[in-house]
Amino acid sequence: MNRNPTVSGALPLLLSCLAGPARAHEMWLAPSRYVAAAGDTVAIRCYVGTGFRGEARPYAATRTLAFRLHSPRETDLRGAAVNGDPTFARFVAPDGGGTLVSYLSDFARIELPAREFDGYLKLEGLDGPLAERARAGPAAGPGRERYARCLKTWIAGGNANRAQMVMGLPLEIVPLTDPRARGALRVRVLFRGRPLEGALVRAWHAPLEGPASPRDAAARDSVGPAAQARTDRLGMATLAVGGFGEWMLSAVHMVPSGDRGEADWESWWASYTFARGARRR
Amino acid sequence: MGELHLRPRGAPAVRRGWRRAAGLLACVLAPLSAPGVLRAHDQPFSFIDLTLAPGVVEGRVAAHVVDLAHEAGLPAPDSLLAAAYLEPRLDALRRVLGERLAVVADGETLRPRWRPGYEILADRRLVALRWRAERPRPAGEVRVAGPLFRWEGLHQTYLNVYQDGRLRHQDLLDRQHGESVYYTGGAPGVLAVARTFVAAGVHHIFIGPDHVLFIVGLLLLGGRLRRLLAIVTSFTVAHSLTLALATLELVNPPPRLVEPAIALSILYVGVDNLLHTPGRKDARAWIAFGFGFVHGFGFAGVLRQLGLPRGALGWSLASFNLGVELGQAAIVLGVAPLLALIRARSPKRHGGVVTLCSWCVALAGGYWFVRRVFLP
Repeated sequence: MNRNPTVSGALPLLLSCLAGPARAHEMWLAPSRYVAAAGDTVAIRCYVGTGFRGEARPYAATRTLAFRLHSPRETDLRGAAVNGDPTFARFVAPDGGGTLVSYLSDFARIELPAREFDGYLKLEGLDGPLAERARAGPAAGPGRERYARCLKTWIAGGNANRAQMVMGLPLEIVPLTDPRARGALRVRVLFRGRPLEGALVRAWHAPLEGPASPRDAAARDSVGPAAQARTDRLGMATLAVGGFGEWMLSAVHMVPSGDRGEADWESWWASYTFARGARRR
Repeated sequence: MGELHLRPRGAPAVRRGWRRAAGLLACVLAPLSAPGVLRAHDQPFSFIDLTLAPGVVEGRVAAHVVDLAHEAGLPAPDSLLAAAYLEPRLDALRRVLGERLAVVADGETLRPRWRPGYEILADRRLVALRWRAERPRPAGEVRVAGPLFRWEGLHQTYLNVYQDGRLRHQDLLDRQHGESVYYTGGAPGVLAVARTFVAAGVHHIFIGPDHVLFIVGLLLLGGRLRRLLAIVTSFTVAHSLTLALATLELVNPPPRLVEPAIALSILYVGVDNLLHTPGRKDARAWIAFGFGFVHGFGFAGVLRQLGLPRGALGWSLASFNLGVELGQAAIVLGVAPLLALIRARSPKRHGGVVTLCSWCVALAGGYWFVRRVFLP
């Protein structure tokens, strides 16, 4: 948000001159604090960008299919969210057990020239669609895609089981242990409720601003993935998630579109944000 | 896949220093590039709030300084965040926004009268201006076109409409969804909904040859008026039910199943006519009833594309149904007397016409089925 327009405008120009492959943006939820006790106020914002650096995205009511809070009961946050507001939701933590927030967007459409689309599939590790397009040859045509976002964020509390809840998103990253615990993190990726094999899960890291707050995602540097792994037959992957700070896990899955009139492919973009080492004060 | 950007091959991340270097290099390359590319920015959003009150529509438009500066030909966007720089340029900004605002109430384009003052939202780099437009009659329908700025492809305009102190309508306008319609409460709103959706129902029947052929196919064998009415009513009852279920999002089968099933219904009706033997029990009302469920899901797809008004869901559904019925009635009134006339003049010729038309119906259904299943 606070970027210099000359620089922000110059970057696409320069990079287009270098003619690199297109890379899609991640989207993630960023709470104002990653730890909350009963009575603490938490604001949720949403960012879109690459390398865990992004710009705030205002809330879009018509694009939101689900926006829920679990702590310990489920609350629909859509009624309190206002179209165009940069803060998606603001709520008071009902207890100290921790809060899991999930968000599901409706499909949005995009079309790319064939070469650019194939380059993007390669970068995102979407080997299945890439192989299918290669088999089709020139008949594959331009990349007509519709995509949806499946986001979760964990605001930690005393009950780590809540962080591991399955929220029923089409594509979902589910930690199998307390995400704040030290050591590698084991996760399961579910697609329509079933374990997804072969999905590339990436982990992105950024330092915290304060004891529990993330740094402004628009004002920090881009980073490369700190760890990545593909899921096994049971949809599980182990990520070498190391240090303290804010973390984002991301995964994407693409299948032939259920509505060929609208798009040839449909993809789901999942992210899960949490923090290690965050404390209330 | 979300928004895209380009990054250099092999570079896993873009660091801040990189961006500074990019900025310098881009200044050198600027004359070689389209200005739109050079000045694109990361917050391509604008915001329109409308408040509908008796006799007046009040508006607030908030736009990013990069968009305002680009469209007003100002060299330094962030200078607009300083009151001393902004105030002498307010008229230019009002002109820019006034030319792009497209708010239409009951077919009449509103002419905004700008109110004095402004807001600077420095943290979001927005400037907001307020306007009002008098309207002696309460509006039934308010249409807003967007997005507000089109110089960059990704621009989105957030629209909120308030009435009676409550947020009634929210939408997001972009290049793919360029118009938002809000139907106000009360009689003017209901009338506007009825006008729009009855016309849409009639229009859909006549532009959708599959529905027309299905109905014509059912009527080809003729019969007394009571029999024909029973057939059409069965179809209506069934499709109204699934149309309502799908509109309320209680049942929502995918188009890849619905569209081939509709084609199959047409093929079935054509073949059934061809296999018809005198004295066989007339099951057309049941066929219409059974396949009517499938056609209802097809109607629902169209209705969704029209954008259902949340505050007038029932009225829009009823109006669309009425339009469909009027369209069907027009087909019955056109086809049935014609067939009766041919039959009265020459029963033999009537048989030939029925056979020929049934073949056409069956072939069309078969063609659509193959196309929708194998060549979607």
